[in-house]
Amino acid sequence: MQNFKNKLYDFEAAPPEKIWSDIRKELSDNKSIEITVRKKSKKLYYLAIAAASLTIIFLGSLFFKKNSTTPSGVATSVSPEKMRDSMALNHKILESIIHSPKEKHEIVLNDLQSADIPKKYITVAGPEGQPVKISPKAATLIIAANNDFPPKPTWSKKVDKWQKIMLSSSMSPTFAGIADLVVDASNMEKLQ
Amino acid sequence: MQKLLYDRFSSKMYGVCLRYTENVEDANDVMQEGFIKVYKSLPKFRGEGSFEGWIRRIFINTSIEHFRKKVKLYNVNEVHENTIEDAELDALDSLAAKDILNIINELSPGYKQVFNMHVVEGYSHKEIAEILGITEGTSKSQLARAKGALKKIIESRADVIKNNDKEEKK
Repeated sequence: MQNFKNKLYDFEAAPPEKIWSDIRKELSDNKSIEITVRKKSKKLYYLAIAAASLTIIFLGSLFFKKNSTTPSGVATSVSPEKMRDSMALNHKILESIIHSPKEKHEIVLNDLQSADIPKKYITVAGPEGQPVKISPKAATLIIAANNDFPPKPTWSKKVDKWQKIMLSSSMSPTFAGIADLVVDASNMEKLQ
Repeated sequence: MQKLLYDRFSSKMYGVCLRYTENVEDANDVMQEGFIKVYKSLPKFRGEGSFEGWIRRIFINTSIEHFRKKVKLYNVNEVHENTIEDAELDALDSLAAKDILNIINELSPGYKQVFNMHVVEGYSHKEIAEILGITEGTSKSQLARAKGALKKIIESRADVIKNNDKEEKK
């Protein structure tokens, strides 16, 4: 039943011997072509690797640059817990400065050397409770200027002038906040 | 390795080449081209299905490409051909493979392609249409015409076929 289909499907015939010799010849000719193709593909491969490496280096440098700029940026990058701790510590420093007039300069310096304190800024509470960063050097100068020991008349004049300017300015509440704080601190000292 | 592969499959694939091509010269060309393709495509063989089936497909495609270079197969209007029952081709069963091949080779190249692909290889008309770049309707028409032509060839060789039947019964 329809055997002819199977007969045709399985039909075999011996090919002329010339065919194999022609195939072998063509294969040996093609070998050189294949090698050149592989060389090209290897070059492409290396180029692709180089391009990928450069891209990774470029992106990596961008990433690290971004990360390194972040901490010195806006105050919002500092975590709330760190901010709270820092503020509490700075209040403590200010209080100790106020209560120990003779050693306030040293106290500020000593506390600045502590690892817990940010090295560049001291965060203090503004008049509305907002965190305000000031330079510890500036804070030391301001406090030292209001203190009798060691006497710094030139600095005292300059700081007084600056405090008056900042208090009269309604444009920059943050700096006014610092000035208020410093004024409060010096008043408290005087009261003592 | 290449020679071993050739020795193992050359006879079967040469049979395929003879079925799909018009003459021995074309069959030789397809045979050579087909084996070169097989060697080059060996790394692409994924082991899905039989290896022989994979090689056979390469040879069929090579034959079709070879045929396309020579003959452009045009779509024909879908005409309702008189359907030839497969039973009418049963007379071929009594013939030897080589004689059947001679009869098939009397068909025109277009008929032979479709007949081989559908009847012998088992491709659907949709597959044939995709491979040959024709419509399914054209494929069906070509097959019907191929069967009609075969029927006529068988009738013209009725005496030879009857003699073969008698010899088989003896």
